[in-house]
Parts: sequence; C-alpha cells; structure tokens
Amino acid sequence: MPSAQKSNARVFNMTERTDIYKLANGMTILGIPMQQVQSAAFDFLLPAGAALMPDNSCGAPAVIEDWLFRGAGGKTSRELTDLLDGLGIHRGGSVESKHIALSAVLEAENLSLAIELYADIILKPALDEPQFEYSRQLALHGLAGLEDDPMHKTLLLLRQHFYPDPLGRSPVGKEEDLQNLTAQMSKHIISENFNVARIIFAVAGKYDFQKLCSLLEKLFAGQKPKKAKDIKAKAQSLAYHHLQHEGAQVHIGLMTPTVTPQNADYYNVRAAVAVLSGGMSSRLFTEVREKRGLCYAVGASYHSLKEMAGIGCYAGTTPDKAQQTYDVIIAEFKKLAEAIGQEELQRAKIGLESGLIMQSESTIARAQTAATDFYMLGRVRTLDEIKQQIEKTTVKSVLDFLKKNPFNKFCSVTIGPEKIKT
Amino acid sequence: MSLWLRERMKFKHKKLSNGLDIIAEVNKDAQSAAFGFFVKTGSRDETDEISGVSHFLEHMLFKGTDRLSAHDANRRFDDLGAQYNAHTTEENTVFYSATLPAQLYEAAKLWCQLMRPAIRDDDFNMEKNVILEEIAMYKDVPEFDVRESCRSLHFGSHPCGKSILGSVESIKALSGRQMREYFSNRYAPNNITAAVAGNFDFEKVCDCLQVGCADWQPKQVDRFTDYFAGTAKKEHQKKKNLTCRYLCLAGPTVSYQDKRVYAAALLAKIIGDDTGSRFFWRLVDPAIAETAAMYCEAMDGIGVYYTLIRTPEENSSKVMQIVEDIFNSLQKEKISADELQKAKNKVLSAITIKNEIPMGRLIELGVNWTYLKEYRPIEDEIQRIKKVTLDDLMTLLQEFPFTPFTQFSLGPEK
Repeated sequence: MPSAQKSNARVFNMTERTDIYKLANGMTILGIPMQQVQSAAFDFLLPAGAALMPDNSCGAPAVIEDWLFRGAGGKTSRELTDLLDGLGIHRGGSVESKHIALSAVLEAENLSLAIELYADIILKPALDEPQFEYSRQLALHGLAGLEDDPMHKTLLLLRQHFYPDPLGRSPVGKEEDLQNLTAQMSKHIISENFNVARIIFAVAGKYDFQKLCSLLEKLFAGQKPKKAKDIKAKAQSLAYHHLQHEGAQVHIGLMTPTVTPQNADYYNVRAAVAVLSGGMSSRLFTEVREKRGLCYAVGASYHSLKEMAGIGCYAGTTPDKAQQTYDVIIAEFKKLAEAIGQEELQRAKIGLESGLIMQSESTIARAQTAATDFYMLGRVRTLDEIKQQIEKTTVKSVLDFLKKNPFNKFCSVTIGPEKIKT
Repeated sequence: MSLWLRERMKFKHKKLSNGLDIIAEVNKDAQSAAFGFFVKTGSRDETDEISGVSHFLEHMLFKGTDRLSAHDANRRFDDLGAQYNAHTTEENTVFYSATLPAQLYEAAKLWCQLMRPAIRDDDFNMEKNVILEEIAMYKDVPEFDVRESCRSLHFGSHPCGKSILGSVESIKALSGRQMREYFSNRYAPNNITAAVAGNFDFEKVCDCLQVGCADWQPKQVDRFTDYFAGTAKKEHQKKKNLTCRYLCLAGPTVSYQDKRVYAAALLAKIIGDDTGSRFFWRLVDPAIAETAAMYCEAMDGIGVYYTLIRTPEENSSKVMQIVEDIFNSLQKEKISADELQKAKNKVLSAITIKNEIPMGRLIELGVNWTYLKEYRPIEDEIQRIKKVTLDDLMTLLQEFPFTPFTQFSLGPEK
C-alpha cells in the first residue's frame, strides 16, 4: 500500500511529506500534500519525448499530444473537451527530450473525475484518422510560427546544437518529417512508447493518497510493462551557428557543459549560476545591462537532461552591440572561477532558498518538480534537503568546482541581421 | 469554499494623512508575503512629447535615490531573497516584490525609498539604451507589435491609444527634466495605493510606511476619462521576414467600474477561450488558425474586447469570414446555459488557483482598490460570477455587439 517518506522539517514551518506508490506494472505515483490549498495539480510524464522518436518522425510528439485529446474512452473530441472544461481544468502540455508532459490544475474536489478522463486520454485515445490531419496541420502551423519568434527559436537551436543528437531535438520537429508523418506511424509510436512501467504520475495540493492510489490502480494496473527503449547519442562538437534574419535584434544564445543533478557538485553549480545570473545585482545583469546598457533581456540558467547538463545564456541586442554583448558575457563566464565574494555567494544562496520556498506555494510547480526529480534521481528531494545542500556550499567549494570544470567550451547560436566572431 | 476563505483572509485598511491608502489581506497560512505600490499612471496620462515616459520612469525607480546607488538597491533586494519587478500599462505602473514573511518589512522600507528616485542624468542616459533595446526586442515579437498597432488604430486620438514603450524618436528626445516633472505630477501619495498580501503583521507594515512615506506631499492628479467606442478602422501592414498572419481586433465593452464587467469577461471566454470556445471549435480545432483568443480588457472608464489570432497567411481571409460569422450569428445561435456554466467553472477555478499564492492575490487586491477604492473579498468575486445569467449576456451583447470592430493585421511581404 502507499508509503510515505516523512521529514520533520527543521527550517520550514510545515511537516513535509512525499507519498510514493508503485503499481505492480512499474508505474510510479508520487504525491506532495499541501494542506493550505484548495486546488490540486497533477503531471503525467509519458515516455514519448522528442529524443525517443524514429529518425524520420521529428515532431511526432507535438502531433500526438494534440491528437490524444481529440476523443477518448468512447467520447468524441467535443464531448471530451466539454467534460474537461466542465471541471474547470487548466490544462498544460509540453514535449520534452524524453517525455510528453501532460499537466492539469483544478479545484481539488474534481481531482478524481479529472484523473479518470486523463486515463482515457492516455490509455484509450480514439486516434481517429481525420482528426490526425488537424493535429498534424496545427504542428506545421506551430513550426511556421517559430520562424516569427527568433528568441524562442534561438533557445531551441541552442539545445539542438549543444546536446548530442537525438537528445537536443526540437520539440516542434522538422517540416519534412511533419509533412510525411501519417496516422499509422503515429499510432505505432504511441504503442511502442506509452510504456506504463516508465510513466510517472505526480500530484500536489489537496488529495487523499489512499483513494488516489486505488483509483490509479483500477485505471492503470491492467496495462503490461514493455521493454524500455535505449537511445544512443551521437558525438557532438560545440561550435558556432548563425541564422540570417532581418529582424531588429541579434538574438544570442550560448551554452557551456556542466554536471547533472546526480553529481555531488550539483549545488555548487546552482550557486555559481546564481552568482552569475540570480537577482538584479548578479554579474550578468550588472555588467551587461546596468553598466553598459547593451540589452534589455539578458540571463543565464541551468538546464539538464538525465545524461548531460549545461548552463545556457540568452541576450537580445541591436546589431551594432552584438559583438560587445557576446564578449562581455563570455568574459563574465570565464571570470567566475577567479573569485567570488563571501557576501556575493551569500546573496546568491538566499535567492535560491527563498525562491525555493516561494515556488513551493504553487501546486503545479510542486507536482512538476516531484515528477522531474523522480525521473532524474529516482526519488523526490524534500525542500529541507535542498535547502541544507544549498547552505553547505561555500566560496571555496564553488571555486574549487569551477577550477576543476572551467567554462571554456561554448556552443553559440545567433539569429539576426549580423554574425558575431566567437 | 467560502467558509475556508473567510477564515483565512483578513482585510485591513489604513489611510495616511497625506492620502496614501494602505490595504492588506492577511493569510497566516501563507509561506510568503507580497508587497506592492500601485501608481495610477500610465501611457494614457502622457502627452505626445513625453510618449513612453511612464514606462521609462518605472525603470528609473530601480536606479536608486540620493542616498542609494542602483547597484545598492539591487543588492539590497537580493540580500532579502526578494523576487521583485515592475510593469507599466496604459493606466497603471505597478512595483511589487515577494519575500519570505520575515523579510517583508525591509522590502517595504526599500520600496518607500525607491519611490522617491534621484533620476540622475548619467543613469537616465544609460537606461535610455536599455529602453531602446526593449523597443527593438518587441519589434521582433509580432504578437506584441500587432496588439500595439491595433490599440493605437482603435483609439485614434484618444489617450488610451498611446504607446506604452514610446517610439525610438520620443525616447531619444526625452530629457531628465521632463521625466522629473512628470514624476512630481503623478507620483503623489493620493494617486498611489500600497498593497500587501500573505503572511505578515499589518501594524508593523503600517509603521514602516508611516515613516517611509511621511514626507510625500499630496497633489491634485487628473486623468482624461471620456468614453470612446473606437474608430472601427481597418489596416494591414506587410513586414519582411514574417511567415504567418497576425490579426488583432478591438471592439468596445464595459469599463472596470461597470458591474457588468463579470458578464463581459465570461462572454469573452465563451467566444475566445483557448479550449472549448466558439473560436476554438471553428478555428483552432479544424487547424484553420494556430491560435485564436479573445479577452476583455476593462479599463478606467472604458473597455475593449481584444481578439488575437495567428494563422497561416493563406487562411487569413477564411479566418476573418469565420470570425465575422461567429460575431454576427450570436443573435440567432444564442449562448447556451452549458456554455455559460463551463466559462464560469474555468473562471472560478482560475480564481482559486491564482489566489493561493500571495503574489497572485496582491495584484488582484491592488488593482481592485486602484479602480474602485473598495475591497472585494474573493468570496464576493465568486458570487458575482455565479450570479451572471444568460439574460445578462444578451443584454450586454445588445449594448456592445462585437461588430463593428477595429482590425489591424501584420503579414508577410510575399
């Protein structure tokens, strides 16, 4: 029966608990109870992300994510949408490297009904062929829309060039593949990839875990596990890529490799990134925007897959300032290993810790973090554990890490009217 | 639901002698506390000469005071672990932060200092570059560009049509002296509301503000609020390097102060929510448009229904035929009770979710007070939504039909 990991949190004004239950077929159920709320949020991670697609089917997960909602469990597309809307559900869906993530947030009293509908969507989608064509067209429109969104396109291209193929594949796909994708191919992908043993379900907010597990058992236990798929990533060298675009700005993206969350140095990296780009007194904001007025938008953040991680940075600037912006950013990345002030690190740590607690007030953020943690680490970290690990970092530990792992290799992407020299 | 809310949310209000309203909603269960200053000023309060000054001034508040440099201000917020920012609209400039409860008072004191900025010329000139970069950035975001152009076309010479960012020319020509003058005319305590939400001690916040805002001098502050239904003009602009067609429509509706604002918001959801709406079934579900959304923007004395659509260029005529058909057929294809109920459910659950987080509640609280000078408990909000009837929607539609409307579109050159 459901088990619970308890930690009587020292620093937080609450008793933290993570509920965990595994169905016999391997499906994982996670719960983060939050007694102070009336809502509940859940997140299904389905193992059918962009990197898991056959080589000729880039973009299939985006089509599938839409197609699943076009009728399920004997209900038509309209009946299903009416039922979901009737429950006041706020839906979210995204395609990640390894997963299609389906999330929802709603008033807690409607949680069971919502989960029943989602079980139909995942296990009994109608997969009606005329409806497939609409989903495919929408994915093609999404791909065309990306051409008009150079900032977003920069970030997707950056991941594509930074992570070895197929890990960094774009969630929106390729035009040629989307043109050739058929309903049959997509059905095959669903049957191959929707492996219940690898599905992670996480809920956060107000719920009854016992009741929830019984419901999920009833809905999902009949599914048999499948053999897990392995992927082989190709070697990738970090280089500079430019796309000509006659827009107002040059959109600059760069990314340098670092350790994944499984690594003992993970919290040193998070502290380093916070010194670089935490609050508005951090180095990038101060040097690029405040002192030089080069950009409106500039910032760095940590991004990780299970196999590999990087620190990514974005800046958008007018063409005559692009080279200087790039040079200042690179200099700040490299300078980080030279020295970090005691107060500077303390400020970065406070920002990380208070951000953690504030994020914990959101049911959807808690559910998504729990699901991602379990996928990455095989367990869910408590807020208390994360806070303690952040507190443990010191100027010495961060600098030691940076000296052992210097930021000297960058993948860079620019989209705009001018190239830069790297 | 209502009992739960009533037990947790406690409203407090105090008015300082200089006219500054302090409003607060205490929730002792919250893990954080949010603080904000809501200044009733925005682009509609500008003249053409100083177009963009409200937004530029919002940036300059972060540049420090006579005793605090910009870097000191940023560092002090970061020392508090604050998540802080600001935004400017046509009619409001809002400064806000969220912190852990214990840090709220220091954050409030810091905001009080920043609200009397130095506006130093060298900071002003450096920040001008950042504003020009922000203008350039939004030129590469067609959804923003089309909405700005549509608003300007819809309002014509009415002040609500003024650009929030200003133009490259108006920003380049703007002087520190003009900004200081605008500041002294608009940032009077009687034109500002201080709002607090989450877990904190009200008396302690009041003490901070009493000291921090004591020397702010009240001043007569006016705004032009004549009603205007819009020009109903239509324009199209071609832009190189665009792939899709972007359509923005604007039509008149009720103001924030009008009691029918809830009916207007529900009507916009029925027509243009991102799932299950009439736009969804006729445009997005059959993949004619990629996105199609309608929302109601209720403003000070005026209101607008905005429709935003992204579609492949070749579908744009078809899209407009369908949109006009949806608008024109509302009299015969009446809204059903089921449509209204679904819209209510979506709005009600959004209220629950948003208000669980102090920062979400803060914005609601501050904006309500700015427009209405009254506190509206979440429970009242819920009741007002629940009470909207089909008759209310039809009466509203008779007074504010969706046609005629202003239309601006942006599309590729070829």
